[in-house]
Amino acid sequence: MVIPLADWETLCASVQGFGKKRNQDWSVAEGTGSAADPLVLTVADGHGSPSYPRSDVGARFAADRFVVRGREFAACLGADRPGGRLRRLHDYARYELPERLVRDWQNEVWGHWRRQPGPEGADAPREDVLRLYGSTLVGAVLVPGLFVAWQLGDGELTVVDEDGRVRLPLAPERAELGDETASLCLPEAWRLVRVHWEPLPDPERGPRLLALSTDGLSKSFASDAGFTAFTEGLYERLAGRGLPGIAEDVPRWLAEASRHSGDDTTLALAHRAERGDGPGPAWASAPEAARPWGPEPEPEPEPGAESPAEPDGTTNDDEETERR
Amino acid sequence: MANRPVHFIWLLDTSYSMLGEKIGQLNYAIREAIPEMQSVARDNPAAQLLLRTITFSTTARWHHKDPVEVDSFTWQDVAPDGTTNLGEALHLVAGELRTPPMPERALKPVIALVSDGAPTDDWRAGLRAIEATPWGRKAVRVAIAIGADADRGVLQEFLANPELRPLDANSPKQLAAAIRWASTAAVKAASQPVAGGHVGDGPTKPAAPYAPPVLADDDEDDVW
Repeated sequence: MVIPLADWETLCASVQGFGKKRNQDWSVAEGTGSAADPLVLTVADGHGSPSYPRSDVGARFAADRFVVRGREFAACLGADRPGGRLRRLHDYARYELPERLVRDWQNEVWGHWRRQPGPEGADAPREDVLRLYGSTLVGAVLVPGLFVAWQLGDGELTVVDEDGRVRLPLAPERAELGDETASLCLPEAWRLVRVHWEPLPDPERGPRLLALSTDGLSKSFASDAGFTAFTEGLYERLAGRGLPGIAEDVPRWLAEASRHSGDDTTLALAHRAERGDGPGPAWASAPEAARPWGPEPEPEPEPGAESPAEPDGTTNDDEETERR
Repeated sequence: MANRPVHFIWLLDTSYSMLGEKIGQLNYAIREAIPEMQSVARDNPAAQLLLRTITFSTTARWHHKDPVEVDSFTWQDVAPDGTTNLGEALHLVAGELRTPPMPERALKPVIALVSDGAPTDDWRAGLRAIEATPWGRKAVRVAIAIGADADRGVLQEFLANPELRPLDANSPKQLAAAIRWASTAAVKAASQPVAGGHVGDGPTKPAAPYAPPVLADDDEDDVW
């Protein structure tokens, strides 16, 4: 028997890094995943160091502009999607939307600077001004039949499927070492945007959890395996207690992560339960674990050549990396 | 969960030309800089600052081989004894910047080179060995030139960044200031995010992660 799925529920939480004057992350999570109310998630991480004194503003602009473009993109999909139009939208998502996003952000930043110039003056070189607002961006849009995500710079998009499989469809083949990241403030930054395109032909299958996080979360773990274990634990608790049942715990978990990474730590997540799941008997009986991860697992050896088949039509401009 | 390490490696010239006041002042300057490094580490509790030292003269050798947390770090004086085999020292560093022993998740390492002369071995081979490691390419590098005889061209090549310059230390006071700066500013630079990446065919220009201080001439001190 197939149990129908509920609408998507969303949650955003963020904690400020130790010793930071302000939180330079920004996040938005909204929508139910229907055609009329698309699911739109985004997190942006302002670089934060003294070289980027306005990056909190930059992160807010990044997330806000993504929401606008994400909604616009979802509206283009509509209920009736002939194949040719979908192919056109695929190209739009891959090439045009990233450039529009970056240009939107750069124009917004430039406008902000012109209204509120710093000591360098309103006519400071544009490239120098953009750098002051530097931010990363991760964003996702999900509507019936399609899930698309974009990423510029560090941070994670983590997906848990109905079988509990954890995947990071936008993880680069090799993560940047140290704290170097691509950024909206770089010239032609749209060329650094990674895109994930995933058709969802069966409405009862596909992702159950989408989690977008800034790098303050993943960098608090000693290994990729630890981060994956966190996501698995999070998903288990969502299955048992529902999203309202963990809402108060999430900031505490993020605070613990931030204590290790030292960075602002932000999570925007969306959960889709089977109807009948959630705050019921399962939630009431779920153990009150202090945190969703246990002892950190030993890092696994380098992944071999084997990789599971991807869903039909799924494309990435970067090779998908599994962490399990 | 774990804090990420910052591996800081002192690379000290202990050739004969350092004999006398220079080596004494170098030992003094590093010993005096340790509390400031501890202070930087306390201000940044998410980073685990780990120190090591290599000396190079006729041979290169570890003065502190195992990484020591800055709070437990104590300085044992170094002594001069031979020629200037910088290349051998760079090879030693390169061996430590591979993964493993370096973890995948760490902050940028810092390599602080202090020299008063010209290398006597194939130092470029050592530099290539560092460049061949991913962490070596990412490392924050600082160079301090002690006295007029220091080969600044070598130190400039070591820095591998035309926007950075070796720091001149032509007097004891300047050396102390340079060591203090290298001990603190470089650690801060290693633990701060930087916008970078590759667009198109070439690397984009990253923001200079740190800038050396201007050390004023000091007439009151002896000049090397």
